[in-house]
Amino acid sequence: MTEEESGVRRWLVDISSWRPSPDQFDAAAALLPPHERPAIARFVKEDDRKRALVSRLLQYSLVHHLLRISFHQINIRRTAEGKPYLQNNCSDFPNFNFSTSHQGDYVGIVSEPLCLVGLDIVSVSEPQGETAAEFVSNFSSYLTDHEWNCIVGAGTPRDVLTEFYRYWCLKEAFVKAVGAGVGFGFRRLEFHHEGWTNICICIDGEVSKKWRFWLFKLDETHLASIAKGDPEDAINTFKKTLSSVTIAEKQLSSALDSPEEAFTLQTVEELTQSQE
Amino acid sequence: MASIAGSSALSFARPVKAINTNSLAFSPVRKGNTFLHLQPVPMRSVSCAAKKDTVDKVCEIVKKQLALPDHTEVCGESKFSELGADSLDTVEIVMGLEEHFDISVEESSAQTIATVEDAADLIDKLVAGKA
Repeated sequence: MTEEESGVRRWLVDISSWRPSPDQFDAAAALLPPHERPAIARFVKEDDRKRALVSRLLQYSLVHHLLRISFHQINIRRTAEGKPYLQNNCSDFPNFNFSTSHQGDYVGIVSEPLCLVGLDIVSVSEPQGETAAEFVSNFSSYLTDHEWNCIVGAGTPRDVLTEFYRYWCLKEAFVKAVGAGVGFGFRRLEFHHEGWTNICICIDGEVSKKWRFWLFKLDETHLASIAKGDPEDAINTFKKTLSSVTIAEKQLSSALDSPEEAFTLQTVEELTQSQE
Repeated sequence: MASIAGSSALSFARPVKAINTNSLAFSPVRKGNTFLHLQPVPMRSVSCAAKKDTVDKVCEIVKKQLALPDHTEVCGESKFSELGADSLDTVEIVMGLEEHFDISVEESSAQTIATVEDAADLIDKLVAGKA
């Protein structure tokens, strides 16, 4: 590696073409430390088990790739809220943190060395047995009045659905970045944007200058959002795992304003081979 | 939360949930058992066991929401996430339960529901509170 390692990664796997036999699945799972395997096995649906496995392979591959540690030496734990983090981070990246997401055909991971980062992938799918308007209204208490108006005024039912999923996806990315579980009040967050660029967040009614957001269209039905921001906003259980919570404003601004990279597509084979 | 005043100015009817004054913030008991029970009879915790009827109904609603085949083993210990529920599914499951049992679940309580048993316990308490 000729360039200085930044610790920033954006990886994406399309699992639709990965159809492992039970043996192949088990072989991939065997690469992970033993404590991860029961968690994968407990998923009832095969596709969920696949996503759970690939999600974990991404985590371990990423840490292995960046920090040059073998899988079985990597210690990834979870906070009480379920936020995964690298225990005993001895790397050059003081706040090394990562976020995975999976939905439909995609599993993704993002990492940052200093700022918090969160990823959410959604599939804009037609609701079963209810209209777009009915579906979206189920979640009205998770949206602010402003967001609600934007959504219901978006146009066709498909537009309404897509708009809803954009707001939901952004909220999830933020909540995951700060390490909160489902208990975080989604209604405390309000997003503003210009044509879905220059996306900014108001938290409890105040504009925050210390967060950046991006929305990506992965394909016709999948969206991904990335949230990147101030480690001070991490919730306590996650904050404890970080080394440099207080960052000088200039350093934080410079990190926040660095250009956002596109996702790199990985295959499951590449992830499993990286252990050899 | 700075919610915008003058909600009557909205041109779209926005569903407003009535707050049930009997709703409780429920802290689920974390059971030590990490395995998914495949028995049809739900495991009962030592105290405050949810009624079997409630657990059965929750299983039914969850299976429907997650489009699980009828033969899927779902019981009190089943975790929503392991059945394939994402955050959106969980919200919809709770709404389905509210409609069926005619109760109102606080957002803070809804978000602590991880298993079928958690949901059934909460429902029993809310229904008892209404009686």
